[in-house]
Amino acid sequence: MTLRQVPVLGHLIVQSQVAADLWRRDKGLGIGLLIVVALLVLFVAYPLLVVGAAPAVSDWVRGATTGRWRTTMGNTLFMALLSTLSSVTIGFLYAYAVTKVRIPGAAFFRLVPLLPLITPPFVSGLAFILLFGRRGLVTHQVLGLNTDIYGWHGLWLAQTVSFFPIAFLAISGVLRSINPNLERASQSLGAGGWTRFRTVVLPLATPGIAAASLLVAIAVLGDFGNPMLIAGRFRVLATEAYLQVSGWADLRMGAVLGLALLVPALVFFMLQRWLQGTSTARYVTVGGRGSRLEAEPAPPLVRWGLFAFCAFIAVFMLAKYVVILIGAFTPVWGVDFSFTLENFTRTLVRSGELWNSLRFAGLAALICAALSTVAAYLVVRIRIPFARELDLLALLPAAIPGTLLGIAYVLAFNTPPLALTGTGTIIVLSMVFMFLPVGYRICVATLQQLAPSIQESAADMGASGLRTFVDVILPLIATSFSAALVYCFVKAIGTLSAVIFLISHGTVVASASILNLAEQGYWGLAAALSTSLIFIAIAALAFARVAFGKRFALFDV
Amino acid sequence: MARTHAPRDGFTATDGGAHVELRGVSKRFGEALAVDDLTLDIEKGSFTTLLGPSGCGKTTTLRMLAGFFDPDEGDILVAGRSQKGIPPHRRNVSIVFQDYALFPHMTVRQNVGYGLKLRRLGRAEREDRVDRVLRMLGLQPYGGRHPHELSGGQQQRVALGRSIVMEPDVLLMDEPLSNLDAKLRVRVRAELKEIQRTLGITTVYVTHDQDEALSMSDRVAVLSDGRLQQVSDPWTLYHAPRNAFVADFVGHANFLPVQVERREGERTVVTVHGRSLVCHDPHGVGTSGAEAVAMIRPEWLEVVPAAGRDPQDDGSGRTFDGTVRTSTFLGSFARVWLDVDGLERPLVLDVSASSSTSLESGRPMTVRVPDGRPVVLAEAPSDVGAFGPDLPRRDAAQAVRATHGTTA
Ligand SMILES: Nc1ncnc2c1ncn2[C@@H]1O[C@H](COP(=O)(O)OP(=O)(O)OP(=O)(O)O)[C@@H](O)[C@H]1O
Ligand SMILES: [Mg+2]
Repeated sequence: MTLRQVPVLGHLIVQSQVAADLWRRDKGLGIGLLIVVALLVLFVAYPLLVVGAAPAVSDWVRGATTGRWRTTMGNTLFMALLSTLSSVTIGFLYAYAVTKVRIPGAAFFRLVPLLPLITPPFVSGLAFILLFGRRGLVTHQVLGLNTDIYGWHGLWLAQTVSFFPIAFLAISGVLRSINPNLERASQSLGAGGWTRFRTVVLPLATPGIAAASLLVAIAVLGDFGNPMLIAGRFRVLATEAYLQVSGWADLRMGAVLGLALLVPALVFFMLQRWLQGTSTARYVTVGGRGSRLEAEPAPPLVRWGLFAFCAFIAVFMLAKYVVILIGAFTPVWGVDFSFTLENFTRTLVRSGELWNSLRFAGLAALICAALSTVAAYLVVRIRIPFARELDLLALLPAAIPGTLLGIAYVLAFNTPPLALTGTGTIIVLSMVFMFLPVGYRICVATLQQLAPSIQESAADMGASGLRTFVDVILPLIATSFSAALVYCFVKAIGTLSAVIFLISHGTVVASASILNLAEQGYWGLAAALSTSLIFIAIAALAFARVAFGKRFALFDV
Repeated sequence: MARTHAPRDGFTATDGGAHVELRGVSKRFGEALAVDDLTLDIEKGSFTTLLGPSGCGKTTTLRMLAGFFDPDEGDILVAGRSQKGIPPHRRNVSIVFQDYALFPHMTVRQNVGYGLKLRRLGRAEREDRVDRVLRMLGLQPYGGRHPHELSGGQQQRVALGRSIVMEPDVLLMDEPLSNLDAKLRVRVRAELKEIQRTLGITTVYVTHDQDEALSMSDRVAVLSDGRLQQVSDPWTLYHAPRNAFVADFVGHANFLPVQVERREGERTVVTVHGRSLVCHDPHGVGTSGAEAVAMIRPEWLEVVPAAGRDPQDDGSGRTFDGTVRTSTFLGSFARVWLDVDGLERPLVLDVSASSSTSLESGRPMTVRVPDGRPVVLAEAPSDVGAFGPDLPRRDAAQAVRATHGTTA
């Protein structure tokens, strides 16, 4: 047995040889790799280590034995289970209706679930308060009820509506990848509609559905805005951690609670990666070329049943935005519904916060897209050392709840030489690394489509690695760069969970002040500010669409 | 629906299968007519092939037989019963897809047993029938594997097994061999034909590969643009094509514009550049004085050795003098393109590899047209390339350059 065959040591030896090789071959690439690795280590790995080491044993004991926090953990898992279940169920039905049954208006229904993905996540919470709250439009005005949406059921509703689009996107991808000829074959072998669904479609979609569930569960665990706005006394770990830090300045307890959130999220994250790998290896369609028949049209009852279902969901989703728009022009929600522009004139006073949001998100988007592109290029295209580890590190932030990331940044960048707390820089950095996984994934997907021969032919003509990248690859991935840019921007401009720990006087962003306004009952102002954010996000998308045309596709639906 | 047909005791000498009739079947997609008034009789137990170029409506016809959609006009009868309105899962018709459409989440056994399970056959009988099919196809060792763990040829056999285990009235196959490599294709072709013959299943086979069609079929139906061109056994199709399209699509052919002289029973005498040729006229298209086309297969032309040249032959007979433009060696024979004065296109002929004739470019060569071999057709195909059939690309490019006096 040689040293190379020892599990960890062998890997290290082989990888360092690859590193030496790369350095000899191309210094430019080597330096690029060093910078990417340094950034990822400094702003992803290091803060995690700091926050992991922050609590003392006594803090852990306190966390585990205090009844209140045990309840909070129970609540968190309960919500993760409940909201995931409902989101995935709705997401599956919706995806099935749109991709397989092709209900009337499918093109429209396909677009509706994309809205929550590009608008701030807490919009759901805010809208539901306006719709179903104590002074809610539906509950109070129309039905005359005195109900209270605050609590787990309100949170359930808001999270379901916020996160079912994630399930929808993932599952419609899975459904579309199922060869329609399989259904036709099963039909020809004697299977009726329900049997086809049960014996072919469902078993083939199951790994994808499981992976989608894990994605949703991670999002629910990390959700901060909705529980903050709508959960009332019902506490989950994300909000409790925030209260520990903001109310009691107890960073170590905040870290304990945040870490308690990180553990299940990480487990789900790894499981999801594993599931994705095995299911594609195994269920990838065999056989190759051949024309494909469209699936048979579903019976009218199923078709119209699903149509009604999708219509209901779509109306519900759009109502969210309509009510926020109305709220923005209403003086006192629930009391005075006359028309006013005052909310907007008063938000002008807060234009500094909007401007902060805009410039931080813009800067973060640029850095994030650049970093995504370079990292993806290195991992996909170049034989670099520790490629798998680098890939994992770039995707890891997807599993980190924003709350924990915020606390980690506060702890890690509080002292020289990296005393960044209180600056705009730290906010930008948190945005960059929070949304890196999505940008990185977009770029990886694009690069994997490019034939390696393109690069080789350029290298043939004597271009160095870096030159190849700039001359050949870069023009080709301009689209994925722009997608990463826009995606990071629309996400960053509405993000709340990490940023809320990092703002200070002068660096307050709009999303944070929306939360503040809503908590104090200034619904009109909160709605007006939200409306501004939504419009900025939509304008950014529209701009990208115009600038890049049809090639620009953020979501593959 | 009559499902109690084939015997249960084995897979030999069954009379599984049914007589199939297509009666004036048409299918349109929007404006385009994919299948145009197709009438075709498919005999019980026969192997019938639908042959034609891409987009001619083969798959569409097959899908109508499978029941994936109904014809817009006309009717399809299986064993005398109209199939109108019967959904695919109620028809005893089984289809093998071009991409096999194997269920990736099931093992080979589960794939093959899938249809039987849906028929609620007892477990013992089901296992028994699956076993027999796996044995017949040489798939027993792979029963527990998933499709992605099989080679292309094995996957193809599983797809076939999944269909024949159902003992269908009609077995449909849509280019089932096109995903296999060339060598395997030829082998599987023979196996497939053998299995079909043993089982006696009425089979409708779709392909655009003429070799496949000629070697496997009892009858071949040639389609073009949704219309039936000719139905016949492979020999007749090759030697007596009904029109230029069929002649051109099945095999290779020279088309010579000729003048019809006179008819002598089955024979027709035509002239081309002063030479008279005695042709075969199976469809009686030659009327005296009319313009027509003589179709000559490359292997029908005979090389006349320079030494043994008939002194009495003054060139006005059945021979053509020309110079070799180019040739390609194809193993057992070489294909030669011969420029002949007065002919617009080079003559294509196949020369046996054992012949000692020199095939170098520029060499003179004389060829003879045997009496009775050329087939008289009403007109030439519309789209034969400027250099005749199958001139190698490189030479075609050279020829273009030569004619246009340009360099690449
Ligand atoms: N679902 C459809 N919608 C519209 N047009 C169709 C559809 N299916 C087939 N066609 C058209 O009908 C014609 C016949 O198609 P078909 O698939 O039967 O051809 P084919 O003979 O099987 O060709 P190939 O050898 O390429 O498989 C084509 O012109 C095709 O474009
Ligand atoms: Mg076809």
